[in-house]
Amino acid sequence: MIFQDHATIKEKLEILSDAAKYDVACTSSGVSRKGNKGEIGNTAASGICHAFGADGRCISLLKVLFTNECIYNCKYCINRSTNDIPRATFTPEEVCTLTIEFYRRNYIEGLFLSSGIVESPDYTMELVCRTLHDLRTLHRFNGYIHCKAIPGASRELIEEAGWYADRMSINLELPTARGLQELAPNKNRTTILTPMRQIQNGMAESRAMLGMKGGNQSAYWYTQKRTGRALPGEQATLHTTQNLFGQKKAPEKLADNSLKEAQTAPDNLISSSNTGLTQWKHRDISRGFVPAGQSTQMIIGATGESDYEIMAVTEALYQRFDLKRVFFSAFININQDSSLPAVNGQPLLRREHRLYQADFLLRYYGFRADELLTQQRPFFNTYLDPKCDWALSHLEQFPVEINTADFNTLLRVPGIGTKSAQRIVAARRTGKLDYHALKAIGVVMKRAIYFITCNGQMMYHFLKIDEDYITRNLLENDVDVMKGFDEKVTYKQLTLFDDSDYEDTN
Amino acid sequence: MDKPTRIYQCNNTVDGIFSAVYDAGLSGYGHRFIRIQPIQAGQNENYELFAEYVQVETDSKKTKSVIDAVRQKISEKAYLFIMSAVISDFPDRGDVIYQFVTYGFTLGAKVCNALQIPCVDRIFAMNRAVQNETHFFREFLRFQEVQKDPSLLLAVIEPRHHIIPLLMEHFADRFIEEWFIIYDKTHLEASFHQKGGNWEVYLLTPEKAKKLEELSEQKEEYVDLWKTFFHQIAIKERTNKKLQTSMLPLHYRKHMTEFLEDNP
Ligand code: SF4
Repeated sequence: MIFQDHATIKEKLEILSDAAKYDVACTSSGVSRKGNKGEIGNTAASGICHAFGADGRCISLLKVLFTNECIYNCKYCINRSTNDIPRATFTPEEVCTLTIEFYRRNYIEGLFLSSGIVESPDYTMELVCRTLHDLRTLHRFNGYIHCKAIPGASRELIEEAGWYADRMSINLELPTARGLQELAPNKNRTTILTPMRQIQNGMAESRAMLGMKGGNQSAYWYTQKRTGRALPGEQATLHTTQNLFGQKKAPEKLADNSLKEAQTAPDNLISSSNTGLTQWKHRDISRGFVPAGQSTQMIIGATGESDYEIMAVTEALYQRFDLKRVFFSAFININQDSSLPAVNGQPLLRREHRLYQADFLLRYYGFRADELLTQQRPFFNTYLDPKCDWALSHLEQFPVEINTADFNTLLRVPGIGTKSAQRIVAARRTGKLDYHALKAIGVVMKRAIYFITCNGQMMYHFLKIDEDYITRNLLENDVDVMKGFDEKVTYKQLTLFDDSDYEDTN
Repeated sequence: MDKPTRIYQCNNTVDGIFSAVYDAGLSGYGHRFIRIQPIQAGQNENYELFAEYVQVETDSKKTKSVIDAVRQKISEKAYLFIMSAVISDFPDRGDVIYQFVTYGFTLGAKVCNALQIPCVDRIFAMNRAVQNETHFFREFLRFQEVQKDPSLLLAVIEPRHHIIPLLMEHFADRFIEEWFIIYDKTHLEASFHQKGGNWEVYLLTPEKAKKLEELSEQKEEYVDLWKTFFHQIAIKERTNKKLQTSMLPLHYRKHMTEFLEDNP
């Protein structure tokens, strides 16, 4: 290892931002907080991007590792202990200075602090906590903080970080426990899911005590409410509220199949009996506990999971752990590790893209994972986006009449996004809509025309509701559908969709 | 019945346009025959042969009446729509605001959703353009520290619309304790925020504008650190300049720290 003992702040920044770049999340969304006198910063619910890097990804936060002097040896990671690479460690003061000075210049929305594991999980988490403490209290920073929880760190330290951070994340790393065991021998599902559950319950408690200020619900949660479905996660909420009033605790049962380990963990390790917030009196509770929620990410394409398995795990994470976001990261064999698959860049990026689209359908459109894929058909169609694909295999539900269909039905029409569906419903109150008005509303007509009627008429009389006919036309006429599938340069990442089926709602 | 078009000519300012909307509204001439034409000082006016012209007297009291009526009789959302439209740079904004307000007085709050009506569709589009541009600059505007002790931050922007007030709402809340200036090079406007919260928008003389530009040409230490981060954080295996350009159009990069040449 090459240690940079007396490295300048610039050298450290070079090493520790390079080391952090494979982490996908750079969002600063989920919490809206006004500025305060005597402090610096505020936050916006929808998040703010500040730049786009050469890979086209949004840069919103100062994303760095605290240290890359890691004692673990995860096979997929550039910072694994057996790699011969430059190493460095920040001081808390250096991280604070960079954050504040970048923030004042409007380079960033805040800090995303992650870390390799130096000495031990607790030792590392303590350094992370000290940094966040200094940033919030000494530097009076009121902007966005995303903090990575270190798997295996004590619950006290996890809780402390949660009082400073807006968002926390713990990476699931790989979709299955077996994959994790193979590629990250020092980690296991229990050390990942335990803090995830702790944070989930802490958030529920914070919301119960502080109301709106305690934190927001996720898009997934709102969508489930709108479509009238019950969430298993609600048990957890109820549970913690009971704890608050000193009622008897019962270990919570997890019934999902996709995260089986959570069920069989020894001694109900992942139950609410050892979660719950204990530091109300010692911390500044004005921001709430992890008010912007938690997220996770997993690497796809390194171990052999199907899209169906990945979506099932994703859905379970939303339902059982109340996550805000699940991110996917197409595997890149940076270590040229011969036990791992060789790089197959483009097809994998396409796959990642489809997974993100499907994730959108879960979070905003009320689709269930098993509506999109099944055990018999476990992979997404490469040529059609998942919503078109779904519509084509459910033609019996079309066409939809624009002037009468309800909101949830409109949402399932290809070419109609959440915003256009809202606008259609609102505009109908002042009179009937015709095709011209739909265009003004922002409906993507080249996709929608096969699936809708306006006042009983299809847009062109020659349109047929026929699977082959529509598929052929969608592929030929709809440049968007083909966008990014033959040519590297037009590949689009989720946050960047201009296409109304996958637009963000806030 | 056909009558000649009546064109209200007004100052190309917020008060000018609202004064025209006010006068036109009171005239009872019939909205189908009315147009509103903002005139830039020193601009050559294009007279139409069969139209009649009315010169509007600018008066901020008229502005207030229009705004109050919109908020009371239509809605807050309608008010936001007309405010976005009036600070925009679209030449037809006077007409559109006038028509929108006329419909709004009949339809009430629902007018904002009635995208079937052309002027509503148009004001909606204007609002979106102004909000989008503001959002872009919230993201991409860059400050630099042009003075220490006390520190002073300066940002230069070249927007199409007069968005400084919208930007200031955001930055004044974010940087309560900072002294900072946002300078709009397109319209020679600037706003100066004082530590603690007060700010105002000023129209600049060319000399003042030049001074701000000279100030902005300094170098400072954090530029280099930011560039380092900016380059390191991109994944080389996923380089995608086309995507980068579609997300961050070249036009916005002009004053962005990370895209400035190292040694001019
Ligand atoms: S713990 Fe594993 S993934 Fe994290 S920095 Fe160390 S080697 Fe990389």
